[in-house]
Amino acid sequence: MNKLAQKYLRPSQIPTKACHGCGIGMIENWLLQAIDELSLDQDDVIFGTGIGCVGRQTYATWGGDNFGATHGRALAVATGLKLAQPDKKYLIVVGDGDAASIGTSHLIHAARRNLGVVVICEDNMGYESTGGQFSPTTPAGYVTNSSPYGMAEPSFDPCDVVKAAGATFVAETTATQWHQTVKVVKKALQNDGFSFVHVRFPCNENFGAYALGTRDTLKNLEWIYEHTQGRKADGSETDFTWETGIKHDASNSRPEFSKIMRDMNVRVREEMEAKRRGALAEA
Amino acid sequence: MSTLDLQTNEILVAPWSDWERRAVKGRRLLEAGTYALTEGAIAAGCRVFAGYPITPATDIAEYMSKRLPQVGGYYVQCEDELAGMHACAGASLGGLKAMTATSGPGYTLMHDAYGWSITNEIPLVVVDAMRVGPISGITGAPGQGEFYIARYCTHGGNFETIVLSPSSVQEAFWLTIDAFNLSERFRTPVTILTDQVVSDMWEDLFLPDDYDALDFVIPRTNNMSMPFYPVGSAELDVAPNIIGQGTGVCVSAYTHTPEGYDIEEMEAQWAQTYRLVNKIRHHRPELTRYETVGLDDAEVVAVAYGANARTVKTGVLEARRRGVRAGFIRPITLWPFLDGLFAVDRHYVVCELNYDGQLVREVMRAAPDKAKVHFMGKSAELHTVAEVVAGLDGVARAGRIPELPYIWTEVR
Amino acid sequence: MPLFKTEKKPSRGPAGKWDVVIGEDMCKACGFCLAVCPVDVFAWRTQANKLGWFPMFTAKEENCIGCMLCYQICPDFCIDVALKPEFAPTGD
Repeated sequence: MNKLAQKYLRPSQIPTKACHGCGIGMIENWLLQAIDELSLDQDDVIFGTGIGCVGRQTYATWGGDNFGATHGRALAVATGLKLAQPDKKYLIVVGDGDAASIGTSHLIHAARRNLGVVVICEDNMGYESTGGQFSPTTPAGYVTNSSPYGMAEPSFDPCDVVKAAGATFVAETTATQWHQTVKVVKKALQNDGFSFVHVRFPCNENFGAYALGTRDTLKNLEWIYEHTQGRKADGSETDFTWETGIKHDASNSRPEFSKIMRDMNVRVREEMEAKRRGALAEA
Repeated sequence: MSTLDLQTNEILVAPWSDWERRAVKGRRLLEAGTYALTEGAIAAGCRVFAGYPITPATDIAEYMSKRLPQVGGYYVQCEDELAGMHACAGASLGGLKAMTATSGPGYTLMHDAYGWSITNEIPLVVVDAMRVGPISGITGAPGQGEFYIARYCTHGGNFETIVLSPSSVQEAFWLTIDAFNLSERFRTPVTILTDQVVSDMWEDLFLPDDYDALDFVIPRTNNMSMPFYPVGSAELDVAPNIIGQGTGVCVSAYTHTPEGYDIEEMEAQWAQTYRLVNKIRHHRPELTRYETVGLDDAEVVAVAYGANARTVKTGVLEARRRGVRAGFIRPITLWPFLDGLFAVDRHYVVCELNYDGQLVREVMRAAPDKAKVHFMGKSAELHTVAEVVAGLDGVARAGRIPELPYIWTEVR
Repeated sequence: MPLFKTEKKPSRGPAGKWDVVIGEDMCKACGFCLAVCPVDVFAWRTQANKLGWFPMFTAKEENCIGCMLCYQICPDFCIDVALKPEFAPTGD
């Protein structure tokens, strides 16, 4: 086990349940690097996950306190938890289904409230845990288990959604951008507000098999690489390119949700105290 | 002789009959049930309310938005009831007592959060101010259609629930404190089923001046060590788990080990279920709360809870005045169901605010002769005293309830 | 620059100064480390591990130039790459 895994993860939960060649473990390795480079301890960070591959394979790997909420509701739980434990760093590690499909409502409102958490939306472009149905982020026209004639619905980028809702840090990387992901997650953790990091990664068993025609781990990671660069190995253009990088950085520019609530309480108590002193003075 | 002069044996079994007798300084107010529910929660130490406004529970949200900042708590108006109850669970996991309040249409969105809270043994209180349904139904009318849903508040089986129901404004205050206490002791969500009438009506309310002096409030304690989930044990009074104190606790939606890891073995399912069911079943005496009138010599007993229990009780006393040997049972604990109250072989007339018959089915199951259990269902309005008297009289004389307009007597 | 290098280059620069450790019991044989490595360090075992995969192992540690690509790409926390103690900076 690598040193950071030894430092931060739970030995009994490693190796994870992830399939071979799955990007989830890669990304978690980069999260550990970001946490380590910021000199955070296990007790400083709380992991929250959801249902689905990303949720399940990440759940309980973190050695500190962590929770795996019901499908799509990790941010709803985090909204309450952050009020009770505001000083911790929160890494909400969820998939595209959990964050951008069933959980979109909570995603939008957590961004609107500027809830002080970092959402790592690990996107394998489908509901891979249930076998590979399409999701709101599946590229147009791709064949999946539930789009046998090609994905007919338009898809969207959750980065656009959270940015419009008021997120103060939004970034996108892919599973072939390790340095960028570590850098971006570090920045995200230093934003006292809602941070959203969207990382595209390969699924070999389902998306690879049905949409890309192969379970070959190298071919599927290569597909991610090509769509990150915008060019295939033979030099030709890919059908689409992901826009990676920091999309919006207004870190620490507006008050974080739990701080708004605490400040309001202080104001209310001060007004109550002033009224009480005023009433005493008059008596 | 007026109804008030009747000598009937009135019994109340509930912790607040003792709390009320303690010399606590306070004041008398004229207030609504929603106010009493809010103050009861604050008195019990509730510091987070996360919910969504819905008639007739909206006032609870509004009162909470005003009161919680005054006591250093947090009011979160969530995007929906689903988020609201999940946020309460999150806050409770973080160490703060939490409550949500809704009505039927919002209650149905809480199944997911109930499941998560039950399986992870998270204390919290849920108020469902029932109204006529299904769904929006009649906005301003009382209902009692969530009797079974409150027991089966999530899918998957393998759990027990605690459900209480007040029938007056004063009782709503004490019962809310009791609900918080039970949720701490049993590490489970406790449901308070109230209705539009109890929520909205204004009555005398005695409010203690100093909530900190209430020594019967059970404070939040934190479980700092393993096992986080004592699966295979029915032990009571285990401290709730906490996220954020470095205990390494794991909380998830899956069947779990004592550490909280997800596990897919039959033995683990057995052990987890053993705990979730028996921590409640093996401690039923701690959960017994009810009111009875005149049971010593009653041959026909009216059964009701919540708001319509008020008019039914008056109906029972009026029937007595007219010579019917009538009695009254008001379960305050709805679940686990108080089977023992119905052990005597006599006629029961179950009055509830629904037409499909829910409470009546449990009474039929618990009573020795289900042919002697009669149903008076009504919807959108409380049972009138005259209807109750007619029903009790009919059963006493002829063994059946006479035909009354808008009263449903069939149970299939 | 291609992601995977089918042709391994000869080792230059800081080659020979690195400890490369693979947790073979945890390896799920995805093949990324071998494919991404620019020099000739890794090879497949011929016996399966407890998980049922034929894991990767460090066949030629002396070729490692410390680029860390294998460490970054491994999805199962298996790999540690660090300067050998005699080459590690003492820190002033």
